[in-house]
Amino acid sequence: MSWRHIRVVFLKELTDALRDRRSLFSALILPLVGPLLVVVMFRFLAEQNATTGPVPLPVVGAEYAPGLIEFLRSNDVDIQPAPEDPEQAVRSGLAPAVLIIEPDYENRFREARPAKLELLVDNSRNDGRAKVRRAKRALDAFGAQTGAMRLLARGLDPQISRPVAVTEVDLATPQQLAANVLNVIPMFVMMAAFIGGMYVATDSTAGERERGSLEPLLGNPVSRTSMVLGKWLATAALSGASLLLTLVTAGMALGLAPLDDLGIEVSFGVSEALRVALVMLPVALLAAGVQLLVATFARSFREAQTYLSVLTLAPMMPGMWLTVAPMDAAPWTFAVPILGQQVVLMDVIRGNPVGLLGYLLPAVLALAFALVCVRVTAWLLGREKIIFGG
Amino acid sequence: MIRANSLHKCFGKKVAVDDVSFAAADGRITGLLGPNGAGKTTTLRMLSTLIAPDRGHADVDGLDCQRDREQVLGRLGVLPDARGLYPRLTARENVRYFGQLHDLDGEALEREIDRLFTLLDMGELADRRVHGFSQGERVKVAIARTLVHGPRNVMLDEPTNGLDVMSTRTMREVIRRLRDQGCCVVFSSHVMQEVAALCDEIVVVARGTVVARGAPDELRELTGKQDLEDAFVAAIGTDEGLH
Repeated sequence: MSWRHIRVVFLKELTDALRDRRSLFSALILPLVGPLLVVVMFRFLAEQNATTGPVPLPVVGAEYAPGLIEFLRSNDVDIQPAPEDPEQAVRSGLAPAVLIIEPDYENRFREARPAKLELLVDNSRNDGRAKVRRAKRALDAFGAQTGAMRLLARGLDPQISRPVAVTEVDLATPQQLAANVLNVIPMFVMMAAFIGGMYVATDSTAGERERGSLEPLLGNPVSRTSMVLGKWLATAALSGASLLLTLVTAGMALGLAPLDDLGIEVSFGVSEALRVALVMLPVALLAAGVQLLVATFARSFREAQTYLSVLTLAPMMPGMWLTVAPMDAAPWTFAVPILGQQVVLMDVIRGNPVGLLGYLLPAVLALAFALVCVRVTAWLLGREKIIFGG
Repeated sequence: MIRANSLHKCFGKKVAVDDVSFAAADGRITGLLGPNGAGKTTTLRMLSTLIAPDRGHADVDGLDCQRDREQVLGRLGVLPDARGLYPRLTARENVRYFGQLHDLDGEALEREIDRLFTLLDMGELADRRVHGFSQGERVKVAIARTLVHGPRNVMLDEPTNGLDVMSTRTMREVIRRLRDQGCCVVFSSHVMQEVAALCDEIVVVARGTVVARGAPDELRELTGKQDLEDAFVAAIGTDEGLH
């Protein structure tokens, strides 16, 4: 092993990659697209979960229940004329819900029998859910108010119809709520670590052989380990650059996202970004090592690209899982590469304190794993089947 | 000095090289002549350390090709069968990369690259990216990269393959020059005229075995044929795969 050779190979691969549109593309795609998605996603969420403004509600048979209509109006519901085909209107998303009042509503209401109301909703649609919830709440409020008045009219304390009073106390701090939403950022950063160097990893291994330059390269008095170390560092450099760039652009995107409308408070500043970078940079080294190994093993450039695309999905799985079911940092999770980083990352973003071990252990493990990959790749390059294909 | 001692190599059940021995001396051009598929490339790959022989051993200047791999490669310049370049690098950068891997650097390396490009008549192409070079231009860059560290032992696998007449002449000139500088030159070819025109020593390989060896005159004597081509055909037993 020679530092000088490692440097020569590293610089050559880096020059080669920076002159290639495809490798630049794979390094820049996530920093550019990821944050854009963040902004679009948050805007979309904000629109859906809007907690202010009137709820539009078309009503069929409004004339049968003037009292109810009056109540709804005063509770921020915008009563609209009945559509021609109420079911179709809900299914197509034209209206989040349609209220149908039966003609005998008035009679039953007067006789104090349950007066039937039908609320057409489509639970398979996400876009109107918040509005449906608010319409329902208004209807329930009307029911509760009327019920209480009836009891009072009969000389009873309305309280007896409320045997228990449930109050929900949300213990999540706004910071933690935000973390659930913000999990997309670690996911993008993780993807950047894997996609950023993907092309270089392929080009400098399977590509080198396909081009016919591997055999001449191996004719130089350079240890294979030095050679692979140089290629590994070049791949990791692009992965790392892509990762850092994603972090910067995603942070900027957060500034543009309508977080206030969502009632989310985020403190994602320079210090958080630096800590995320500290946690994630070892992942770039790990990703580069695994990618070099896999791409060296592949029989062709194409095959290598296919394998590496599939490999990109692997680190996203824990990320997706954590988005759905955020977990706390159990000690064993630190020991699993990628998962360890993601758990630590969640703590950083949630604003929880992270110990030195939390930073160090996953980093050391990632580095160790990467070096094993480098060593195996170097060994593979000594095998006739790998050098000459076939 | 390059030596092959009873080299054997099988790929699965197929015997590629079955007992090849020869010694290529310094200051001589040794030609490995044989039809396609005779085992020339496999032999050269064993000599250039990339393939481990099943039996026998190869050495360069007395250093074992398997055990002392890096030392052997430091004394060897190899133009292998695969001669791919890096299309996004310039001709100079391609050659410089290999020079640096041989621990050369700076002014001395640049001067050597200039010298080689002038020798190969490539001066004006030196700083252009290799992408789009003609076959002949690419081979010349590959040759420059093989010779950049001034190796005392040079191995060329079919060096004139795909070259036009002018480039072939340049290549022969380079090979003779190397010999005159005292280098040990081994090159393989299936083109009889080429071997006849260049070689001091000929090793005829067929079906993985050395079937004849010697100076051109010795070969004529050995086979009892006056014409060299007839001598080869007699040695190999068939003219299949020869031109």
